[in-house]
Amino acid sequence: MAEWILTIVAAYLLVGGLFAIAFVSAGVSRVDHAAKGAPLGFRLLILPGAAAMWPLMLLRWIRSDG
Amino acid sequence: MSVGYKAVQWTHSKKVYDVVIVAGVLLYLATFIIVGKIAWRGDRAISDEILLIRALGTCAIVMLHIVLAIGPLARFFPRLSPLLYNRRHLGVATFLVAAAHGTIVLGYYHGFGRLNPFVSLLTHDADFGVASSLPFQLFGAMALVILFIMAATSHDFWLRNLSARTWKSIHMMVYACYVLVIAHVMFGALQAERSSLYPALLAAGVIGVTALHVAAGLRERRIDKQPWAAIDQDKKGAWIDLGDCRDIPNSRARTVCVDGRPRIAVFRNGDDLCAVQSVCAHQGGPLAEGKIIDGCITCPWHGWQYRPEDGRSPPPFEERISTHRIRSRDGRLELNALPEPPGTAVPPARLPEEMT
Ligand code: HEM
Ligand code: FES
Repeated sequence: MAEWILTIVAAYLLVGGLFAIAFVSAGVSRVDHAAKGAPLGFRLLILPGAAAMWPLMLLRWIRSDG
Repeated sequence: MSVGYKAVQWTHSKKVYDVVIVAGVLLYLATFIIVGKIAWRGDRAISDEILLIRALGTCAIVMLHIVLAIGPLARFFPRLSPLLYNRRHLGVATFLVAAAHGTIVLGYYHGFGRLNPFVSLLTHDADFGVASSLPFQLFGAMALVILFIMAATSHDFWLRNLSARTWKSIHMMVYACYVLVIAHVMFGALQAERSSLYPALLAAGVIGVTALHVAAGLRERRIDKQPWAAIDQDKKGAWIDLGDCRDIPNSRARTVCVDGRPRIAVFRNGDDLCAVQSVCAHQGGPLAEGKIIDGCITCPWHGWQYRPEDGRSPPPFEERISTHRIRSRDGRLELNALPEPPGTAVPPARLPEEMT
């Protein structure tokens, strides 16, 4: 049981981590135009949040108009 | 306000604030470790790791109490509101301290067995000399997850992109986190504790935080229930008599609440009065508790600004809040309870001669 929960959590976070890297380098300025050309510090700060909130942000990215 | 994001919008006062946080944490940890070394000696001696675990755990819970107390305290003592500006830095620091506590526990209590430390954390039942059979470490872990989510989504980017409502609900979880932390300590550390100092401190903390919140809530209710009288009603809402406005100091506001609807801030700008919604477009900060700085209504929480005449942020910012019509008639000041669309320009009302 515990192993199961941990495996699921780990998988969620692994996907989240990979997604977050793509999101902060490319997706973020599509989702929110105010993030265009934002500095590295900002991108690093939102990285953990992007890894945790990735399903939501993935949706926003897909729906963004570019 | 939001023209391009920065990592942190540093200002002088924020830097001071952060230096105070870091210095406070280090001072607390050092004091705890020194006192601990002296107090726990001989057959009561504990290892350095456990000392550090305790120092970090108690530091985190103290910080959590401060985070929770700042909100209601600032309502009673407006001078404290600068502390609110940067509550999120304190929140992030609390997460980091708690995470250090959890990480050392993970390495020290769970790291040496055959089991993966995380599995061990989830399955063990508090059997290391602690009398409780409740999974107190699980409570701690859940609290830490909440602290992480709040810290990770604390940047303004998340406020805008998760929608204010979602963001607000995420940050209301701080209360769930608080309950979990209290359970974590009650069913964990306190079970093995002989002295009554710890339980007394914990009880004082819980009672203090609860009392502050109840008191602040009652005060808010009083504001929302203040009497008001409609003078006349036109197609666009009821006109309310504002009574004597001499008591509003220059550049400050009075909170008006009609029928439990969102609060209105009536600002005095010299001999002019203007009215806007009292709810900041950023995180709903109480604009009526702010003041007019450089000709703009300035939110007491994070300093977003709005022009009194039309509720718009000065360029290049684009935020807008609702304005309210206000008029001076027969020596009386009257306010319309119906908000105008955000950013609508409304002429200010002159303070009647009798009131100047
Ligand atoms: C993964 C998360 C966590 C784990 C695994 C964990 C584990 C533990 C353990 C094993 C102890 C007992 C230490 C001892 O032997 O004295 C402890 C104590 C404590 N923890 Fe946690 N904890 C976690 C999160 C938290 C959080 C988030 C807070 C507060 C914000 C917290 C506050 C405390 C406090 C105040 C104590 C009492 C320290 C003392 O004995 O003096 N813990 N925790
Ligand atoms: S500036 Fe943040 S709530 Fe007003």
